[in-house]
Amino acid sequence: MGSDDWLALKRDEFKRWMEDERRRTGLSRAVAAYTSAKANALSRLPELEEMRREVRKIKERSIRQMDELVKIAMESVREVKGEAYLARDAEEAREIVSELTGSGKLVVKSKSLTGDEVGINEALEERGNRVYETDLGEFIIQLRKEKPTHIINPSIHVPREEVAKTFSELLGRPVGPEITSLVGIARDYLREKFCNADVGITGANVVSAKTGTIFIVENEGNARFVSNAPPKHICLTGIEKIVPNLSDAFKLLQVLPPYATGVFMSAYVSMITGPSKTADIEKTIVYGAHGPKELHLVLLDNGRRRMADDDAFREALYCIRCGGCMYECPVYRVIGGSFGNNYFGGIGLIWSAFTTGEEKVAAAVDACTKCGRCKEVCPLEIDTPRMVERLKQRLVKKGFVQPKHGEIMASINEKGNPFGEDERADRPKG
Amino acid sequence: MGLISMPDSILYWKGCMSRLRTKSIADSTMELFRRMGVEFATLGEEEGCCGSVLLRTGQPEAAKKAAESVIGKISSSGFKEVVTACPGCFRTMSSEYPLIAGQIPFKVRHISQFLIERSSLLKDRFRRMDVKACYHDPCHLGRHMGVYEEPRELIRMVPGVELVEMKDNRSKALCCGSGGGVRSAYPELSREVAKSVIGGELPGGVKLLVTACPFCNYNFKDACSGQIRVMDLPELLISAWRG
Ligand code: SF4
Repeated sequence: MGSDDWLALKRDEFKRWMEDERRRTGLSRAVAAYTSAKANALSRLPELEEMRREVRKIKERSIRQMDELVKIAMESVREVKGEAYLARDAEEAREIVSELTGSGKLVVKSKSLTGDEVGINEALEERGNRVYETDLGEFIIQLRKEKPTHIINPSIHVPREEVAKTFSELLGRPVGPEITSLVGIARDYLREKFCNADVGITGANVVSAKTGTIFIVENEGNARFVSNAPPKHICLTGIEKIVPNLSDAFKLLQVLPPYATGVFMSAYVSMITGPSKTADIEKTIVYGAHGPKELHLVLLDNGRRRMADDDAFREALYCIRCGGCMYECPVYRVIGGSFGNNYFGGIGLIWSAFTTGEEKVAAAVDACTKCGRCKEVCPLEIDTPRMVERLKQRLVKKGFVQPKHGEIMASINEKGNPFGEDERADRPKG
Repeated sequence: MGLISMPDSILYWKGCMSRLRTKSIADSTMELFRRMGVEFATLGEEEGCCGSVLLRTGQPEAAKKAAESVIGKISSSGFKEVVTACPGCFRTMSSEYPLIAGQIPFKVRHISQFLIERSSLLKDRFRRMDVKACYHDPCHLGRHMGVYEEPRELIRMVPGVELVEMKDNRSKALCCGSGGGVRSAYPELSREVAKSVIGGELPGGVKLLVTACPFCNYNFKDACSGQIRVMDLPELLISAWRG
């Protein structure tokens, strides 16, 4: 093994998280709120037990026929006058989206992990576009030039006083730390951006192949604006999000909100099947009535097919990204957003390894105790600890060995115990 | 202790932690056996490594070798029944050996399962201990092996112990933070996790934390000894034993 940079950086990051009382407080408040809301929702939705099992089967089936579903979904989107693309990797995705956007444009975005995965904002900004995140949490993170800490609530670690500081800088005038007025500020500031934007970029929670329908689940209403107000809507999402048809998608949609935020249903579910259109004048179809004239679906592979082909990791593709296992993870509760890279927690280690590179999570993998709690709380019962163990095996083969683990290994080999103790030398005494 | 092959006797497998670090767990376990009249033997300094640590830190080939060596040693000693107080060894031997090294010609059980089967030998053996206690489910024993009730029943056999539950228990119990090679890679993280478990999970008035795993025991003691008394199951039973 060469340099230990892979370790040193992560160690520092862990340390910063552990020592940051404010972040820890923010995180533990979020955990408490989440766990009690979820417990309440689950106790009132006993039918979810059956439903989540069905969703598991739907995902198993969908991933088995992923390539086929990609084809069907693309054809369906084109049939309803949208455009569809398949991006093999992050670079291709950046190119496609940049090409569609152009330069000097105003772009509004709703939260998209897939967007973060490929680094879409940076790519668009490089071309001279102005990009605004519109999910409140993402907006805060973007202004603070920080990294998100949770896939559902990216700014859980930023307390209100800090948000007030950030907004004061944005507006050039002092702003108080009352949460309602902070939300109001974001609303006023972004409203104008929604209406004047040239392009809206969203992710998707599910895609129904047969109908070419994109589903976006949210609570703030920003994704609805992003996908509706600008003349061009680009949806960037992973190929694993496709299910065969609408009924499959609806089942998944019922499981997601209670596990994600402890609500029966999210405030908004947008179903988008093709661009906006009207035939109200002489029955002549015109595209771009009140909604966007153009709809582009960019489907991203970027390691997903490799995951699907790999018996050891295929299960990771079943993840519906509820984020529950993160809040429920005893390690995440302590080191939050440093436990992973773009994707967090145990499942995030697998996702990061396949999409952004194994070396980036090599050190974080050793923070997972493989305790199995994530599997226990996962609506799809995804066996994350087993996958993390396998990922660890691969990393060891590539030389990513913790120095201490190396010593333990050598000691077990030579002395039969991990502590480097010479037990046989003790014999005369015993 | 030498190798005495006796068909009725059990092999007590200490595991590296109890053998070399949390020795009082091994001592208490053996003392319990003696007081209960259970015939047992150990492999002494020949015991070696069960391979659990190797499996958790990405060394499956080395783990397989360890497994084969352990299976060889136990088989040739003639014991048909192995009892251990280490959930890591317990899980590895009983559920992972068959996968990595083939079927094992002996039965492996956790000390809590073994003791519950002989609970008649434990009846009325304990003196009163007035204390409010919490049991911490070890991941390897609980979630991974499904053993939840036996340790609790044993704790309840001690009169006066008021056993209350952590906010998250049994299959939802929180990991102490030391498993999976984390304690050796990031000791500070392990301690922080243990502290957050103790800080957020215990009902009011709990003075004693009962563990059933040498790794949990070591980590909780290390991180939280100022806040709460930590005892492993065999230690509790021995300290409550009537003289
Ligand atoms: S692994 Fe399971 S619990 Fe975790 S985010 Fe995915 S679906 Fe949710």
